[in-house]
Order: sequence, then structure tokens, then C-alpha cells
Amino acid sequence: MTAISDILHLLFTANLWQATLSAAILLLLPALGGVISERSGVVNIAMEGMMLTGAFFGVVAALAWHNPWLATGVAILAGGLMAAVHAVVSIQFRADQIVSGIAINIFAAGLTVFLINRIFGLQDVGHLGPNEGLPYISIGGLDQIPFFGKVLFQQNIVVYVALVLLVLIHVLLFRTRIGLRIRAVGEHPQAADTAGINVFFIRYSAVITSGLLSGLSGAFLAIGVSNTFVPNMTDGRGYIALAAMIFGKWTPFGAFGACLIFGLGEAIYANNSIIHASPYLLSMLPYIITLVVLAGVVGRSSPPAADGIPYVPGSE
Amino acid sequence: MVHKRLGILGLAAVALMIAAACGGSSPGTTAKQIKVGLVTDTGGLNDKSFNHLAYVGLQKAIADLGIKGDVIESKNGDEYVPNLTNFASKGYDLVLGNGFLMQPAIGTVAGQFPNVHFAIVDGAGTDASFKDLKLPNVQDLLFKEQESGALVGAMAGMLEKQGKGPANTHVIGAVGGISIPPVNHYIAGYKWAAAMEDPSIKVLVGYSNDFSDPTKCSSVAKSQIGNKAEFIFQVAGGCGLGALQAAGQAKVYSFGVDADQKDADPSVIASALKKVDVAVYTSIKSVVNGKFQGGETRFSLQNDATGYTLDNFNLPADVKAEVDGLAAKIKAGTLTPPADIPA
Repeated sequence: MTAISDILHLLFTANLWQATLSAAILLLLPALGGVISERSGVVNIAMEGMMLTGAFFGVVAALAWHNPWLATGVAILAGGLMAAVHAVVSIQFRADQIVSGIAINIFAAGLTVFLINRIFGLQDVGHLGPNEGLPYISIGGLDQIPFFGKVLFQQNIVVYVALVLLVLIHVLLFRTRIGLRIRAVGEHPQAADTAGINVFFIRYSAVITSGLLSGLSGAFLAIGVSNTFVPNMTDGRGYIALAAMIFGKWTPFGAFGACLIFGLGEAIYANNSIIHASPYLLSMLPYIITLVVLAGVVGRSSPPAADGIPYVPGSE
Repeated sequence: MVHKRLGILGLAAVALMIAAACGGSSPGTTAKQIKVGLVTDTGGLNDKSFNHLAYVGLQKAIADLGIKGDVIESKNGDEYVPNLTNFASKGYDLVLGNGFLMQPAIGTVAGQFPNVHFAIVDGAGTDASFKDLKLPNVQDLLFKEQESGALVGAMAGMLEKQGKGPANTHVIGAVGGISIPPVNHYIAGYKWAAAMEDPSIKVLVGYSNDFSDPTKCSSVAKSQIGNKAEFIFQVAGGCGLGALQAAGQAKVYSFGVDADQKDADPSVIASALKKVDVAVYTSIKSVVNGKFQGGETRFSLQNDATGYTLDNFNLPADVKAEVDGLAAKIKAGTLTPPADIPA
């Protein structure tokens, strides 16, 4: 029982919510990528691999140039390149999109470990110096607001960027002509094509955008939080982002809500020093929350109608 | 039915092949270069601590004893058995497993290759439920980590008592990897000695459930710092580097583990040592000299394999004297730090 009162007490601390938001953003970026990709009709389960690739090349670039901004650019590009592979395979060659996604995830895990051995041998991958990672920024004035100042305005720069992207992507998808086209392509590509929309162009752009966003998340993880690369460091976050996208019914804010729930589970676990419960038990918390949310809170959610179906021009 | 029989035949053939491989790989023939294979734990060689030190010990043996040494990194727990088997089946004289979690794998593989020498840091050859099989070809390289933990714990306690902590909160923290004996020994000594020096101290103990991902230790450390901890002791290998950096970002102090970790972050004021390199080297030397013995070998202050090193900090002389005094008492046996974390 003390464990439950410990957790209840935790829920009223700004520290917990600050950690929750940070953990949620790592999931939100790939989840947003997934939303865009799947809204255009291309199933994307490869965010894990794109994020991992981004994290790896981000660290390699940061170690080489000692510049977190350039390194972030490299990470984003690396994620985008992996996505381009997925795009070519699934849009151009109409391969099964699930299979392509799994292949990319496995390839990314193997590629990064292989390159570690080639570049660094059996030596240290290396850790970034104290000021070589993406900075944590307190926003003057706002960060002094009780409770919310700490939660919202004392975060890594990527957190602010991601929150802006969240709003932008929501507006893009549901308030602009481009968004309408993306959704049209995902629901009924034949009709969209007839209306003069370039289905291939929209799908390519959407899939590659998902890679850019996943790469940014990889950069946050590797050169914002960890300051190094370790094999498989994304630790399933790309898959959790996938689940968040589905919980969120393929909407940006829905996905964000789901990411916050997962992030909360992670943040509560991180507080196991002050919760009187077995750390093993606590480590199950994020998954228990997932099951409860899946079973209870979220109703039926259905993907865009043409999600996962390659478009063949002229077909019915 | 036919398929089932074919399957059994196949199994028999595999068993024969394994038996043949065992027979062909008996070590100890004279005038032959000794071959040593090291299998690391999942923390990887770049953990700047536990696995790195094992590698250092192997390198020293290569340089001093003229052996041939090879390394395989385990990316996850499923790879222990194949990695160990890889060396054992290729005629290596000594196969070294690094880490408590590798015990059942050592037990399995050492049982299959009774003519190969095995050594394991932090454990023994065990069955799946971690019960010691007492295999004669397995050397258990065990440490009294609580001694090193006690020395840095005493340092934190003294500094808090003297009002020299960053904000003097009388709260300190320890971030463990997984709650297993070698980790908890360290934390036990840390908590025991800190409370001895400063009875008002509160020690937060948390676990990341991981030995390789710095993100996880960073978030556990941040939680402790958020709860006013101002010394963070990392006991989580490569994962713990995240805890050291979290301490640095929050401008509090930290303690490194196993190796001297002063380069990992400026916040590291001292490191609790566990000279895995000494253990690995000692074990290899025993094979080279033909004096290999199965069973337990203990490494402690007695044989200079535990201790502490001062890092990025100008420790007051009286604190240093107190810590060194404690080390002397532990070495002499007048004080014994506990192996289990005190309540």
C-alpha cells in the first residue's frame, strides 16, 4: 500500500512530469512520422530502425565535428535515407510494407553494430563532452512559473521543437490543402489521382518525412540524453511510437496523448528509489498501463482506408 | 513417425560431433601458445568500467605472458552460450566469462567441455536457477565490492557531515544496474559507511534495470537529484555513465565504479575500484603456469584488488585521512562492511 501512496505523492511533483514530457517526446517524433506516413497510405513500422540509424550517425558526426547542430542534421538525414529505402521498396516496387519495415529494423540494428566494429574496433565509441550535446534550455521568466515552469520550460531544445512540430503537423494535416491531399491519397488514391494529385510524390514525401522525424528523435536520444551510442539504444521506442500512433487514432494530438501515458510509465519507473516496491514490479508498469489503456480507454480505431495498399496507376 | 526418427538421428549426430570436438580440444600440451577467449557482458567493451577492465587484464596478459587473446562482446543474454561455446569448441585453453548474469551459461558450457578451463568474474558455473554446480574446471573470481563502496560512502558521509556538499541536504543516492549481488555489495558498503560518518544521512537506492543504456541510468539519477540527492554513486557499468552525466548537468557530485572514471564526467569526485583486470590477469597466469584451480578466489583490499581513487576534486585532508583509516580497519578485519544493503 505504501507503494501506491508513494506513486500518488509522486504524481504531484513537477520532477515527475518533467521526466514524463521528455520521455514522451522521444516517442512523439517517430509517432508523428508514422501518422504522416500512414495517412498517405504507406504502413510504416520502421521508425525503430530509422531512429537507431539517426542516433548512430548523429553520434559519429558529433564526435567528429564537435557540433551538435551539424550532428543533428546528419541524424535527420540518416533517418530520411532509411525512410527513402522503405519508400522505394513499398511505393515503387509495391513490396509488402510490413516486410519492408521489418527488414529495415533488422538492417539498422545490424548495420550500426557492424559500423561500430569497423569504425571503433573494440574500443570506446566515445562520449560527447559536457557541452557537445544538444542543450537543455530554460526559457527565461516562464521557467519560474510554479510547477509548469519546470515541466514545460526547463527542457531539452528538441522538446520545444517537437511541440511546435506537433501543432504544425496537426494544422498541416487537417487545415491545409496539402493535408487534404495527403489524406485523400491515404483513403482513396484512385480518386485522388483522378483529381490530379500526384499520388507517388505525396507518398514519397510523407514516408521520407517520417524518417526525418525519427532521425531527429534518434538525435535527441543519442546526442541530447545519452551523449553516446550503444547498440540497440532505441530499445523499442520506435515500436512504442507505432502503438501510440494507433492509440491516437492516426492523429497528432491523439498520438501525443498516448506518448504521455507511456512516458509517464517510464518516469514513474525512474523514481524507483523513492517508491517502496520491487523495481522488477515497477518496470512492468508501462506495459500494464498500455494494456489498461488498450482495453479500456481507447475504442475501436481504424487506419486510413488505403493504408498498406500499394497504388497501381489505372487500377480500380 | 519417420520425421521424428530422423530428428533423433540428427540429434545423435550432433552429439557425436560435439563429443569429437571436445576430444580434439584438450588443452595443456607443452610448448603451445596459450589461447584465451574473453566473453563480455552486455555492457560492452566501451562501458569504461567492468568489461573494459576485463579487456585491460587480457591485454596485459598478452603483453606480459605472450598468450593469444580474443574477445567477443555479448549484445544480449541469449548470446552467452554461443559465445562461450565458440571459444571452448575452438581449442581455447581458458574461456573467461565476465559477469554475474553469465553464470548459468558458464555452468552449461563448462559442463559440456570438461577439458577446457573456465573462469567467471562475479560468479560460478551454475544451473539455470543460479545454484553453484561446483565444476572443477571453473574458477570463480569474486570481489568484496562492499569494501570499495564503503570507502566512497564514507567520503560522501564525511563531506555531508562537514557541510561540504553542494547544498548540504544530507541526501545521497546510488544508481544500480540490476539488483544482483555484485551490485548490491557496492551499495551495501556505500550506505553502511555513509550512515556511520553522518547518522542523519538519507541514502536513496534505485535501479535502472539495465547495464548498457545511459538514458535509463540518467533518468534514475535525475529522479534522485530531484529528491535532493547530491552525491550519485553509479553501479551500472555503461548505463551508469548516464548517471554521472546527469550529476554533472545538475552540478552535484558523483562516484564512478569499477575503473577510474574521472574522464567520464567532471562531476566524478572519486571512483570505487574493482580491479577486474587483476582478477582476469591472475586467472590467465594460473593457466599459463599450470596452476589453475577450480573454485572460489576472493579479491579484496587484502590483495589490493578493491579500493578507491580520487578524481576531479580536492578532497580535504581530514576526510582523506578518515577514508584511508577506514580502509586500513577493513583490511585489518576490525571493521567489516555488510554484503547486504542495510535497512
